[in-house]
Amino acid sequence: MSPDVDQAQDLVYALAASPNFATDGVCFAAHQSGLHRSDDGGRTWRSLFDVLRLEALLSATSVALSPSFESDGAVFAGVPGGILRSMDGGKNWSTALLPPPPPFISALAVSPNYANDGIVFAGTMEDGIFRSGDRGAHWEAWNFGLLDLNVLCLSISPDLAHDETLYAGTDSGVFRSTNGGRAWRETGFPAEAAPVLSLAVSPMFARDGVLFAGTESCGLFYSEDRGQSWQRVAKRNIPRTVNVILLSPRFPQKPDILVLTNDALLVSRDGGRSWSKRGTRAELKAGTTSVVAPSGFGQRSRLLVGLADGRVLRV
Amino acid sequence: MSIDYELDRFIKPLRSKNSQTPNVTFQPRAYQSVQRGINLIANVIRPTLGPLPRVVAIDPIVRGNVKPEILDDGGVIARRIVALPDQDQDTGAMFLRQVLWRQHEQVGDGTATTAVLFQSIYNQGIKYIVAGGNPMQMRSYLETGLRVILDELQNRAVPLEGQQRITQFAETICHDAPLAKMLGEIFDIIGEHGQLEIREGRSRDLEREYIEGAYFEGGLLSRLMFTDPLKCRAELEDAAVLASDLSIQDPDQLVPILRAVIEANLKSLVVIANEISEKALSLLLVASRDPAQFRAIAVKAPTDIGGQAALLQDLAVLTGGRAVLSAAGDTLSNVRLENLGRARRVWATTEHFGVVAGKGSPRALRAHIAKLRAAVERAGDSQARQKIRERIGKLIGGSAVLWVGGISELEIKARTELAERTAETLRSAIMKGVLPGGGASLLACRPALQRMADQAKELDKRTTFRILSRALEEPTRTILHNAGYRPSEYMGKINQAGPGFGLDVRSGKIVDMAEAGVIDSAGVLTHAVHAAVSSAALALTVDVLVHKKRPEMSLEP
Repeated sequence: MSPDVDQAQDLVYALAASPNFATDGVCFAAHQSGLHRSDDGGRTWRSLFDVLRLEALLSATSVALSPSFESDGAVFAGVPGGILRSMDGGKNWSTALLPPPPPFISALAVSPNYANDGIVFAGTMEDGIFRSGDRGAHWEAWNFGLLDLNVLCLSISPDLAHDETLYAGTDSGVFRSTNGGRAWRETGFPAEAAPVLSLAVSPMFARDGVLFAGTESCGLFYSEDRGQSWQRVAKRNIPRTVNVILLSPRFPQKPDILVLTNDALLVSRDGGRSWSKRGTRAELKAGTTSVVAPSGFGQRSRLLVGLADGRVLRV
Repeated sequence: MSIDYELDRFIKPLRSKNSQTPNVTFQPRAYQSVQRGINLIANVIRPTLGPLPRVVAIDPIVRGNVKPEILDDGGVIARRIVALPDQDQDTGAMFLRQVLWRQHEQVGDGTATTAVLFQSIYNQGIKYIVAGGNPMQMRSYLETGLRVILDELQNRAVPLEGQQRITQFAETICHDAPLAKMLGEIFDIIGEHGQLEIREGRSRDLEREYIEGAYFEGGLLSRLMFTDPLKCRAELEDAAVLASDLSIQDPDQLVPILRAVIEANLKSLVVIANEISEKALSLLLVASRDPAQFRAIAVKAPTDIGGQAALLQDLAVLTGGRAVLSAAGDTLSNVRLENLGRARRVWATTEHFGVVAGKGSPRALRAHIAKLRAAVERAGDSQARQKIRERIGKLIGGSAVLWVGGISELEIKARTELAERTAETLRSAIMKGVLPGGGASLLACRPALQRMADQAKELDKRTTFRILSRALEEPTRTILHNAGYRPSEYMGKINQAGPGFGLDVRSGKIVDMAEAGVIDSAGVLTHAVHAAVSSAALALTVDVLVHKKRPEMSLEP
């Protein structure tokens, strides 16, 4: 952790884990104090921005890895006003600045077919969505039809190469692009339930068209028709704020859903009908901000949970 | 206004004899003459229907070295026929001409389909009326049948989505593959309401550019306000936006606003006004003496006769401010900081200014756009619709410009017109969906009409539905004929193949038309059917013709 930042304020904005986490134990945490890397499954961390020799603190507000991280080592980190890119797992960085005034990068998403198409998306507060088609070297704003430029989350169809579909959660609802992020259209998400803080697209999206949306004050919603219509998941079972949604890699055959609220981790093993808590209240009392489940979220799998006080818990 | 319209005004009165007694034509001559006039116009347009159309050469009105016009657009061909020598025939011809021109103006396509449907219904209808049918009953049943056809078409329409499908459809309209490809890409991005400017290009190729944010006509009011003099452009960040149509003369009026913006730590101010005095401009330049701290620019309010207030209102919604309008009694003295809009970036050149990432409420913006979309549906004429669509286009986050190139000036002009026509049809198709083309979707409506005919007990009703059912075959027959096929050879095979099937005249095979990419815009087709049936129903009730005579007029003043 950077010595300039008080631990109590070093919020964890985002976490990302290597697709090969089970064997390499590599994960990244975007902190207010910068980007940190762990090579031992989240036990110890080291700052990656030290090599930049910056005079002032540089926050990392989001982080994303290439699906083929093991071979290409591509890491993307959102920082105020731009996006940093490393092609060697975080040793060296190149910078891509976005048009001023400096945007806040709220979400990064890498194409599932990144090895071939080199596409990366960045969601920003106030400036909409930027798209790079050359592995993060250059970025261009593509906001046709995006009527709300306050982007809070992004989620890409696993079949992007064919359906070119991705979703953006914003202050006022959910938008969908069906042409690889070049144009956006409103979905049928109820505007009164927005802001939308989190989105998760089913791994079988091409077939089932299912996606989930977590809101700031109205709980969890799901759609079975690619976002045209939405239903709320039982009100009583889910708290109002849903910061992160994770679906089992074998969803819907194995209908496991994990949601991160402000101070709890909830797991459903039956597609959202019933929920149980994971982790103790004492562990999570500092406030939760992000979660990754690099080995799934079965009973024995470990989760990494980012806290508002800067710690990353292994739950 | 077109030259044809002007000629109409002068030539028609000259034809009349100098007598005040009106000419009256009764039956049976009225039917015969009107039918001849209708058939003349329809027969001129028939050859243009289908993907392999024939063209119509029209002699210029003013002879000389001018070559005949070669046309394949039914609406324009109809417009070129100014008058027929026989007054009674002229009445019929001008009736259909007006129907076709309105179709052309409102949807830009489908005139040939309207013409052949109208002709078929009218000719069959007249035959039945002469044999004793009741025209008023027929009119009522035609309208009932029309509702059935429109319902059938609506139920069969499917959305037009994706670059590939839009391109494929565009090619069926313009038969120009590079243009179709470009329009397919553009409309996939900008959508049905997106702002697209089609300009004549300077090169041989087609080029396109996407512009981020919204832009308006109205440039910088002083060249001293450029931030990049080489590019003749000003760019501001984190700007406050005063959207007004005021005429600002007294610089003192601007002082409280400047002070409020600077105190709010905003980096820049854009003053939009109809007019700003030299003194007021000087004040803004003085306020910008340290551009790193603060910069102010002034731009001319967007000029749109009758629509300036609406554009300023849009700008206010986009930026979260309030439109300051002189018509509402607003002055600068009652403008507060919270009345100013905000934008992440603003740019201005000598002709335009643009707003990128306005900070208006997204919910208010969505509601405003929804209202405008509803207004498009309600708008009566194409010009009003076009204006509202342009306003929506400015609000959706970006716009596109297409430069149409070609080898000669003539080719560029013709291709630009083609691009505009294709773009209009694409918008309608994306908005209302598409249907199997080549007349297949009209053929698929016949079973519903046939059922109604079978159930009808009255002769007039039964006959009317049969007339309509037969008329729905006419577009397919005409397309086959125009492409060099004998319709009688293929109609049976098409009927056997089932609904949605037709003859792809390019390959000569009977195919599922939608799967083969032969599709029609549902909006255009429903409009064409509506225009044809309702107008033919009205035309069939015409019983007497009266021609007023006006005193002879001279072209000389």
